[in-house]
Amino acid sequence: MDSRRSRRLLGWAAALIALGIVSTALVTDLQAHARDRSEHRDLVAARHKLSTLRTDDKVTTYADDVATNHRNDLLVSIGSTLAQLTATQNIISGTDAIAFLQGVNIGTYETCLGGVQNSYIQIAAHNNAQAAQDISAVAGACSTLAGGTGDGLAYPFDFPDPDVLLVGDTYYAYATNSVAGNIQIIKSTDLTHWTALGDALPSLPSWATPDETWAPGVLEIGGSFVMYYAARVTGPGGGEECISVASSPQPQGPFLDMSTAPLMCQQSLGGSIDPSPFVDTTGTPYLVWKSNGGAGPSAIWSEQLDPTGTGFAAGTAPAQLLAPDQPWESGVIEAPDLVVSGGRYFLFYSGNSWKGADYAIGVAVCSGPLGPCTEPMSSPILSSGAHMEGPGGESVFTDVSGSFWIAFHAWAPGAVGYPNNRSLYLRRLSMTGATPVVQPA
Amino acid sequence: MATTEVRLTDDESDALDHRRANRGRHCWFLWIAGFVLVASALGYLVGNEVQANTQFDQAHRSLDAVRHRIAGVSLDLATVRHDLDVVNGQVAVGSTTLANDTSKLVGARDALATAQADVSRQSSAITSLHACLGGVEQALNALSLGDQSSAINALGAVSASCASVVGGNG
Repeated sequence: MDSRRSRRLLGWAAALIALGIVSTALVTDLQAHARDRSEHRDLVAARHKLSTLRTDDKVTTYADDVATNHRNDLLVSIGSTLAQLTATQNIISGTDAIAFLQGVNIGTYETCLGGVQNSYIQIAAHNNAQAAQDISAVAGACSTLAGGTGDGLAYPFDFPDPDVLLVGDTYYAYATNSVAGNIQIIKSTDLTHWTALGDALPSLPSWATPDETWAPGVLEIGGSFVMYYAARVTGPGGGEECISVASSPQPQGPFLDMSTAPLMCQQSLGGSIDPSPFVDTTGTPYLVWKSNGGAGPSAIWSEQLDPTGTGFAAGTAPAQLLAPDQPWESGVIEAPDLVVSGGRYFLFYSGNSWKGADYAIGVAVCSGPLGPCTEPMSSPILSSGAHMEGPGGESVFTDVSGSFWIAFHAWAPGAVGYPNNRSLYLRRLSMTGATPVVQPA
Repeated sequence: MATTEVRLTDDESDALDHRRANRGRHCWFLWIAGFVLVASALGYLVGNEVQANTQFDQAHRSLDAVRHRIAGVSLDLATVRHDLDVVNGQVAVGSTTLANDTSKLVGARDALATAQADVSRQSSAITSLHACLGGVEQALNALSLGDQSSAINALGAVSASCASVVGGNG
C-alpha cells in the first residue's frame, strides 16, 4: 500500500512538474511572440517613418534645387541689372560731360556772337574803332570756336593779307580793310593774345576809293614808320589798283597819306598791288609787289626805295622777280615777301585764286633783292589742311629772339570765300634747310 | 470491528495477480503517454519560441538597419533643409537687391533720357548758333567794306537760325 501511494504521489508530482514546465514554456513562448510582434510593429513604424523621411528629403531636395535655380537666376539677373546700371551710369556720366562741354560751348558761342553783333551794330553806325574793340574783346571766345590756336590761329576775325612788325617788345599786325577800317591794326606782346587798335589809316588820299584798301606792309626807317598799301584809283578813267605810301611817327598810326597820286601803278600790267618792303643786309630798302597782269599773267616786281622809304630811288626801275610757272599757281602769283637769311634770299608768295581753297604759299630763291629768282619746288610750302583752307597773303617776320615766323590768312574749313573770315594765323618758320619749312603749330 | 480473513484460491490468486499486472502495465502506459504528451508539448513550445525568437532577431536587425537609415536620411534631410533655408535667405536678399537695382536702373534710364534730350537740345542750339554766327560774321565783313547787299543776304540766310537761338535761349 505504501509503495502504491508513493508511486501515486510520485506520479502526481511528476504531472505537476510537467505541467509547470509546459506552463513555463507556454508563457515564455507567448512572451517571445509578443516581443516579436512588438518588434515587427516597431519595424513597420520605422519603415513608414523612413519612407516619410525619404519623401520629405526628396521634396526638400527638390525645393532646394528650385530655390537654388531661382537664386542663380536672381544672381544672373542682378549681375545683368548691375551691368546695365553701370553702363547706363557711364553713359550718363559721358552725356553729362558732353552736356557740360556743350554748355560751355554755347556760352562761348553766345559770347562770340554777342561781340560780333555789337561790332556789326557799330559798323552800321560807322564807328569802326568801337567795332574793332567789340570783336577784339571776344577774340578769345571766337578763337576757341574756330578750333583754338592748335593750327596757328592767332586772330579769329577777318584779317586778310597780314603784315607783322616787331617794335621793341610789341608786335603790330596790319591787314586789309575790314571791320576796323581801311587798314586794320592789332597788337600783342606774346603773339597769342591780340588787342585791336582800330584803323591805322583813318583817312585816304583823294584819289583812293573808300573801302578798297589792301595788303599793307610797314617799314621802320629813319625813325619813322612807312606803310605801303594798295588802293583803287577813284573817279572816271580810274579803277586800277595801285600802290600808295603813308607815314607815321609811331607804329600804331595814324598813318597819313599826303599823296596826290599812287606810288606805283603799272596800268599796262593791270595795276599794282600787294606791296611789301624789304631791307637788305646793307640797309638798302626795296619794295616788292605784284602786277595784276592785265591781258597777261601776274608777276612779282622789285625796286630800290630812297632812304626815306617814301619813294623809289632815283634812276631805278622795276625789276621782275618772278612769273607764274608752276601748275599749282594756276597763272596767279601775288602777295610777295622777300626775306634774307644766311646770305640767301627767299621770295615768299601766294599762288592760285585767293577766293578758293587751292590758294597756297610758295617760295622762290633769289640771287639778290632785284632777282633773278627761281622756283626750286614744284609744290607750295603751305596749303590747305584739316583745320584751315586756302592759306596766303603771307609775310615773314622775326620775334624778339630772332626766330622766323610766317603770318598768313586762311579760311575756316567749310567757310571758304567772301564774305567769310580770312583769319590770322602764325606759324614758326625754319630757314636752316635748303628751302624754308613751315613748322607745325 | 472484526476482521475476516479470506483465503483465496489459486485461480483467484492468479486472477488477482493478473489484474495487478494489468493495472501496472496500464499505469506505465499512462506514464509513457503523459511523458510523450508533455515532451511533445514542450517540443512544440520550444520550437515555437525558437521560431519567434528567430523572427524577433530578424525583425530587430531589420529595425536596427531601418533606424540607421532613418538616422542617415534625417541627417541628409537636416542638411538639405539647412541648405534650403540658406538658399531661401539668399533668394530673399537677392530679390530685394534685384528690386532695388531695377529701381535704380529705371531711375538711371530716366535720367539718361533726360540728359540725352538736353544734349540733343544743346546740339541743336549749337548748330543754330554756329550758323547764326557765321552769317553775322559774313554780314559784318561785308558791311565793313560797304557791301550792304552781301551783308543783307548773309543775315537773311541765317535769320531762321538766329531766331531759333534767340527763342531757345530766351
